[in-house]
Amino acid sequence: MHGRHQRSNVLSPARLGSPFMPTISELVDSGALVRIDVELAPHEQPMRLLYGTPDFVAWLQHVLDGASPPRPLAHMSAAEQIDDLFYSFLSGAPLAFNRQFRTIRAEDNAVWELKTPDVRIFGWFLAKDCFAAVFGNWADTIKDHDLYRGYRIAIRRLRRELEIDAGLCVKGDAPDDVLSL
Amino acid sequence: MTFFRFDIHARSRKAARLMGRVRRELLKAVMEERSAGLTQQELAQRLQAQRATINRQLSGEAEITLRGLADLAWALDREITVELRRPERPEGQNIPPMTSTVGHQPVRVITPKTRQD
Repeated sequence: MHGRHQRSNVLSPARLGSPFMPTISELVDSGALVRIDVELAPHEQPMRLLYGTPDFVAWLQHVLDGASPPRPLAHMSAAEQIDDLFYSFLSGAPLAFNRQFRTIRAEDNAVWELKTPDVRIFGWFLAKDCFAAVFGNWADTIKDHDLYRGYRIAIRRLRRELEIDAGLCVKGDAPDDVLSL
Repeated sequence: MTFFRFDIHARSRKAARLMGRVRRELLKAVMEERSAGLTQQELAQRLQAQRATINRQLSGEAEITLRGLADLAWALDREITVELRRPERPEGQNIPPMTSTVGHQPVRVITPKTRQD
């Protein structure tokens, strides 16, 4: 999957005064990002925010339509794994227990990976507790084709295209840098 | 599109979140015991199981049976609480959708009744 991100007048750097820096709301209004959620129980409120590029959302729809990894590891379907991953992220559940058991991992270039046994999701944190997903793929496919570096470069390029690399991007590489719970 | 709900079937959602919750509870207990000095090797020895098997269960790659859950709780010296209760709908809480947008289920559209109805 590669970025195909629309830009509109909202993101036009035609502002006077301070250097242009879009807000998250403007990124959503322009179509660059889509807000993503899952159903929470009546007593639950979202503790974190999740966004995705239009291409990432198209991949999610592909999974909802029944796509599955060629050699699944887990006993849950890919859609079930993603639902639980998004639920634990949005509801504020712990994501990192130690180096071995963690559903979140830092890559270079301020890129982060959310993971389940069969699924890998790559993106960056717009702000603490606010993740923007760019790529989703099967864990086996990413390992077999060594896609990590390409994803890191593409995500950094996207941030630069959106002119948010300096502002809407958390640079730390520890879970505490990007998660408050 | 400005909003997307990742909406799996309610039955799948119930299963996925129960399994995820059990796994997170077990991991929390494992980390607490590790802080107190219990290694994963010692945990495996208590259970007379392979460390790799336990790791696969904790990582979500292998299913945990009720027997396996009870054994892990025993080895970690934890009580298990099980309760099935009807959903509560106190006033002022969010009301979840009654229908799913996936699984080829028709979406139920509710309109106010008119005098003709």
